[in-house]
Amino acid sequence: MAFLEIEGLSAYYGKARALHNVDITVEKGEIVAIIGANGAGKSTLLDSIIGLTSIRGDVRLDGDSLTGLASSAIVERGVGYAPERFNLFPYMSVLDNLMVGAYTARHDTERNLELVFDLFPRLAERRNQETYTQSGGERQMVSLGRALMTNPSLILVDEPTIGLAPKVCLDIAAALNRLNQENGLTILITEQNANFAMSLASHLHILETGEVRMSGSAEELGANPELKKAYFGNTHGP
Amino acid sequence: MSQIIIQGLLLSGLYALIAVGFTLIFSIGRVLNLAYGAYLMIGGYVYYHVTQVLDMPQLVGILLAVVFGCGVGVLKYTLLVKPLKGDHVAVEISTLILAVVIQAGIVLVFNDSSKILHPIVPGVWRVGGATVTFNILTAALASWAILIGLYLFVRNTHIGRAMQAVSMDTKGAAISGVDPDRINLITWGISGGLGAIAGVFFASYTQLNPSMWVAPLIIAVAVVIVGGIGSIIGTLIVAHIIGFMEIISTTLIAAELRGVFTMLLIIGVLVMRPRGLFGREEL
Ligand SMILES: Nc1ncnc2c1ncn2[C@@H]1O[C@H](COP(=O)(O)OP(=O)(O)O)[C@@H](O)[C@H]1O
Ligand SMILES: [Mg+2]
Repeated sequence: MAFLEIEGLSAYYGKARALHNVDITVEKGEIVAIIGANGAGKSTLLDSIIGLTSIRGDVRLDGDSLTGLASSAIVERGVGYAPERFNLFPYMSVLDNLMVGAYTARHDTERNLELVFDLFPRLAERRNQETYTQSGGERQMVSLGRALMTNPSLILVDEPTIGLAPKVCLDIAAALNRLNQENGLTILITEQNANFAMSLASHLHILETGEVRMSGSAEELGANPELKKAYFGNTHGP
Repeated sequence: MSQIIIQGLLLSGLYALIAVGFTLIFSIGRVLNLAYGAYLMIGGYVYYHVTQVLDMPQLVGILLAVVFGCGVGVLKYTLLVKPLKGDHVAVEISTLILAVVIQAGIVLVFNDSSKILHPIVPGVWRVGGATVTFNILTAALASWAILIGLYLFVRNTHIGRAMQAVSMDTKGAAISGVDPDRINLITWGISGGLGAIAGVFFASYTQLNPSMWVAPLIIAVAVVIVGGIGSIIGTLIVAHIIGFMEIISTTLIAAELRGVFTMLLIIGVLVMRPRGLFGREEL
């Protein structure tokens, strides 16, 4: 039994189907990446895991079904989420944004804050700044930090490098690697930037128009000439 | 002059208390709760019944008024607002209908004659040519105390921060482990309690009658529209603008004009600055 099991997942916006019969598993302590172009369904997939869309199929965490639970309950069970557009609280300070993340994990606030500030010293310096005044890179850090404050065992990270400078991308990659290796966090990440994803993940899935088209290790997928052209060709980003 | 300043300050404090429960709902759900004035009426009538009919202590009257207000707020969210999920116009129309129903209920139970509340604290105070009733002074001080308490609650507690979070980004709140539904329910309850206690003070400042929900509703709507805001500090500022405008116009021009300038201000702001003077709707 894998740590995260997604089985026959279909997701709908009204009548329109954005995901079709997706099967993905993530082992405990693993980093898995979903690669796909704009509109492939990456954000929908992560939203579905955390209970924000109406779905058919099943999502299980450590054997327990998450399907049908409210997002807040899924978070409480150990799933953190850093969404594509961050969804931060713009007129609240960095610290207050992080404190909202502590809502269901109040007793671990101190330890988690220490982890976040250690991981992103920049946030410690700017803890009193309101997030609407921050740069994209800083917001990404707040978003990841807020997810960590919920005390997750799995985090979902949606296109963390989009629009960020290469240097910041490297920082984010280092932080994710450290969380995975030192804190044993399981990570499911989505990317259009296949090179970035490959540098992190042990296992990758290619998502096209809502379906998993191909899966494999970085070497396996990197060796496929057709995929190489489509996803690994141009090196943009790090 | 000192009369205008003192009366203005006192009335504005009361107006801020009247408006804050309404702005809370606006900031968290972007919806105008047009039954809000009815909370004040319920608070006033419960207090009247407990203290002047049942002859129980004032504190009991205030507590029961708050309990009733919270209850009505919670019921309204559960039975009306939540089922109408996201349809603001439907929520607003049904809250208006609810206000009229509550008015009819009040007439049925208490008949439609006006009732005078005994002052909560009797007596007058003379300062530098101005006379101030202890009643409005108490109302203003209590308003400030409640507003400060609310401010600290919203800023410094997990629930308070969650209320801010839901008002700024519901999805962001949900993925932080906050249940937006539950926070909405709590907010409607707090709003009802605030309305009820504001109603006790407002009724003791004016009088009780079954159509008394209109005037405070206009004040509350004016604060939201003029300010365009849901913040507590913003509510205070705009309440002072409206309070002073009213005192100045009624003292210097004519007492009959109470409320008219407020409505003119609403229309003026709607025409010239549709997003309000401050233009920030979050808590
Ligand atoms: N809120 C929504 N309402 C309707 N359709 C949506 C919504 N969000 C996404 N979609 C559609 O679902 C598909 C997948 O979108 P998305 O998951 O955002 O893709 P990606 O994150 O890979 O760019 C797209 O066709 C998109 O237009
Ligand atoms: Mg996306």
